[in-house]
Amino acid sequence: MKKQTMYFRMIISSLIRRRSRMLVALLAVAIGATVLSGLVTIYYNIPRQMRQEFRSYGANLIFVPTGGDSAINEDEMKKATELIPAEDIVGIAPYRYETIKINEQPFMAAGTDLEQVKKTSPYWFVSGTWPAGSGSVLIGQEVADLIGLLPGSSFTMTGTDSTGKGFGRDFTVSGIVQTGGTEEAFLFLSLSDLEGLMGNSGELDVVECSISAPQATLEGIVRQVGENVEGVTPRLVKRVADSEGTVLTKLQALVYLVTVVVLLLTMICVATTMMAVVAERRREIGLKKALGASNQSIVMEFLGEGLFLGALGGLLGVALGFAFAQTVSMNVFTRSISFQPLLIPATLAVSIAITGLACLIPVRSTTDVDPAIVLRGE
Amino acid sequence: MFWRMVKGALFRQKGKMLMIAFTIALGASLATAMLNVMLDVGDKVNQELKTYGANINVMPKGASLLDDLYGVAEGSGVSDQYLKESELGNIKTIFWAFNIVDFTPYLDTKVKLNSQDGEVKLIGTWFQHHLDLPTGESLDTGMKNMKSWWDVSGQWLTDQDEASAMVGSLIAGRNDLQVGDTIEIEVGGQTKKLTVKSIFNAGSDEDEQIYVPLQIAQELTGRAGQISRVEVSALTTPDNELSRRAAQNIKSLSIKEYEIWYCTAYVSSICYQIEEVITDSVAKPIRQVAESEGAILEKTQLLMLLITILSLVGSALGISNLVTASVMERSREIGLLKAVGAHNSPISWLVLTEILVTAVVGGVVGYFAGLGFAQLIGHSVFGSAIEIKPLVIPLVAVLVALVTLAGSIPSIRLLLSLRPAEVLHGR
Amino acid sequence: MNLLKLKDISKIYGSVKALQNIDLQVSQGEWLAIMGPSGSGKTTMMNIIGCMDKPSNGSVVLDGMNIAKESAKSLTNIRRDKIGLIFQQFHLINYLTALENVMVAQYYHSMPDEKEALQALERVGLGDRAKHLPSQLSGGEQQRVCIARALINYPMLILADEPTGNLDETNEKIVLDIFKQLHQDGSTIIVVTHDPEVAEEAQRTVVLEHGRISRIVRNEK
Repeated sequence: MKKQTMYFRMIISSLIRRRSRMLVALLAVAIGATVLSGLVTIYYNIPRQMRQEFRSYGANLIFVPTGGDSAINEDEMKKATELIPAEDIVGIAPYRYETIKINEQPFMAAGTDLEQVKKTSPYWFVSGTWPAGSGSVLIGQEVADLIGLLPGSSFTMTGTDSTGKGFGRDFTVSGIVQTGGTEEAFLFLSLSDLEGLMGNSGELDVVECSISAPQATLEGIVRQVGENVEGVTPRLVKRVADSEGTVLTKLQALVYLVTVVVLLLTMICVATTMMAVVAERRREIGLKKALGASNQSIVMEFLGEGLFLGALGGLLGVALGFAFAQTVSMNVFTRSISFQPLLIPATLAVSIAITGLACLIPVRSTTDVDPAIVLRGE
Repeated sequence: MFWRMVKGALFRQKGKMLMIAFTIALGASLATAMLNVMLDVGDKVNQELKTYGANINVMPKGASLLDDLYGVAEGSGVSDQYLKESELGNIKTIFWAFNIVDFTPYLDTKVKLNSQDGEVKLIGTWFQHHLDLPTGESLDTGMKNMKSWWDVSGQWLTDQDEASAMVGSLIAGRNDLQVGDTIEIEVGGQTKKLTVKSIFNAGSDEDEQIYVPLQIAQELTGRAGQISRVEVSALTTPDNELSRRAAQNIKSLSIKEYEIWYCTAYVSSICYQIEEVITDSVAKPIRQVAESEGAILEKTQLLMLLITILSLVGSALGISNLVTASVMERSREIGLLKAVGAHNSPISWLVLTEILVTAVVGGVVGYFAGLGFAQLIGHSVFGSAIEIKPLVIPLVAVLVALVTLAGSIPSIRLLLSLRPAEVLHGR
Repeated sequence: MNLLKLKDISKIYGSVKALQNIDLQVSQGEWLAIMGPSGSGKTTMMNIIGCMDKPSNGSVVLDGMNIAKESAKSLTNIRRDKIGLIFQQFHLINYLTALENVMVAQYYHSMPDEKEALQALERVGLGDRAKHLPSQLSGGEQQRVCIARALINYPMLILADEPTGNLDETNEKIVLDIFKQLHQDGSTIIVVTHDPEVAEEAQRTVVLEHGRISRIVRNEK
């Protein structure tokens, strides 16, 4: 029989036949590894998930026409939006503003992509429903108060189109929007409806973009669009972009610190448990020494057990930790998280290192002891 | 004799008991720190979210946002409504006065700049205003606190700067203005020369405006003591079913519901209370800010709650595990006690007492260490102390007690089930 | 030829003189018993002979080497190569089977050899219990496993500390029979005991009192 075979036989016997103690040790390692992989996964996913939440503040980047240019056309918008990484886009809503009249009173009408507005301005509070299809409009609270319209009522919109001819068309109010801001004085209809009334297209006044990306990326987009797309001036909505940066940094720092503190404490906890489990085996170590085992071979045996426990506990921890992080993400953000493959080797390495170290400390102190003293009494 | 044995175990097995106490201290400190941080994180994040600026807009009744659209300037009758500057201090006297973080009044007017055609918006405001309240307290409030995202080159104005102005970056760009230049403004035939003290980039339509101290704008327009709107930044509780119903129609609430609503810091109840103290005013939540704050606050709290639960469960399991391990280790001693005729219950009491004495020592040390950890987190993340909640003490105590009991009982049962002969023969 | 030669050995723990000026020679193939009341220095002497402790004074020459001067590490090696230890409390590793417990000694010595280990167990009459754990064996069986373990590496010297102290008469007899067999095969055996019946089986009995040799008895048979 080879020496290694006996080595493994001893380790495996120790693990299997000392079941209750080994389960205790394995549990300790698994807990540590779960906390480690769970918290690290959460830590890495927080900025991404929270950034999504921060998008409820609305657009953080807008495109406006450059200087003398009075409008952005569709080509320019397309060129500009192509420069934004597709996976970061939450919503892009183009707006065209025109003055129209209802009962001969002037109002501002905004033609836009209402499906995108839902994404860029999730804070809008609509009583009634969002307009579906042509012929229905969303009106601001101010407008509703002023001309006494309710969801479901219809009215006639009049005005002059781009060529100077008058128009009139009936619309139905689908909902009333409250925002607490200037939007309450506007009417919102689909861009194609407004373009139909005005008789021309490609005359956007502003494009609102809601992008889920860190500030540096946003600034990069601003620079690129500014350099590459003529007729479009990108501007960061500083209130949203800056504040998001500040708050996110704090949140991330919070989770970071919490992670560090929790990990530190958990790892010490794991180490003390391992130490308790190993310290129990002083007599066994004494016996092995009496049989002629060198310190090195005793250390190797305990290291072998520790390695195995660390690896098994680490694997368990990776799985449980991911399950925990997934639960957190589903509960808090109702989104799933991505799995970090790098976390497997990292968790394994940490749990093996901790277990090994925790085994070695008591083994070291015991190997220095004379076998005679350990074997004598009790 | 019982206590002599307990004492013997505690002192003679010093190393082992110290290790258990140490681990329990770690667990207790973890629980203390996490619970304190979790209970305070709402307030802290709420404070941070104030960087998004005001969440309530107070305007005169009847005035509307429509003046921008009609192109109607002030003085033409439609939006000629104003609030009284003297009533501003009342905002800090409402039921939720403590939750009002900052507020700033504005007086809007349109002026001609350097005798050009077309008008620009001139706004009188408080930059950093010292206000003595009727209650005897005083506070400093103003725009400087509320527009933290403004990128200002030059210096912020002070309220005493009677001959200076802050100019928006778009106006400055168009008129080629630099910090230190002099501009001339004209309103209603009156002219005034102002020095450009700073140029700011706000990333919004504020970049098209000029800001001066409130009394200058009042002087120019002849509206002493009047303001056109107030922005308020308040700490609020996220909206729920009740607050939504109240926002739609307060009269639909029962008296009891009304009281709950009034005494909760919903944005709608704060608005309502502001309307009560400012004559002829309408206070509206700025949904963009109010709504999002609520959402983010809720998420953060939930996140911290779950992380706290994970770390508590982790340390609880860890400690009971260690206790189990160290009780198992004493199989020999317990076998011996049984051999000399001890019954099960005195043995259990002995072991439990030892562990509990250790746990109490560890728990107390851990509690104070945990307070330290909490303050470390508070100071390094939020730059302010975490409030110490007394509620945490019983929570940690119960937790430590449960955890040590949970850890020792199964292992004691296991040991009691062993036959003394087997244990003593070094099975 | 002398396998072991103790010359003027003393061992002092603080102010306690456990052994004083001991002189003793053990020749190859001899069976020696060390007797004495508790506290007479038996265990100390056994530890010194077994390379688990060093004397404060004097020299211990085992197989021509003075072990009193060796480092802890080389003492471990000498113990491994030349001495087979048998303990009163057996000291088996409780998670290894009888066979594996024997193989552990082979493992630390050189190469584990399952066949040879099994033969050793058969020699002490435990061939059919090789796969049992120590907890499944009786005291006598455990002690026999311990003897098999001590013999497996063909030690020059078998050192037994109260080998029958925890055994009943039947098992005591079995163990003594094994010792007799070993003696006939030419092994050198030192037994530490306080049981005169066990001591009588040896060729010579050294009686210790207060750390000194009070007398040496030759057992005629």
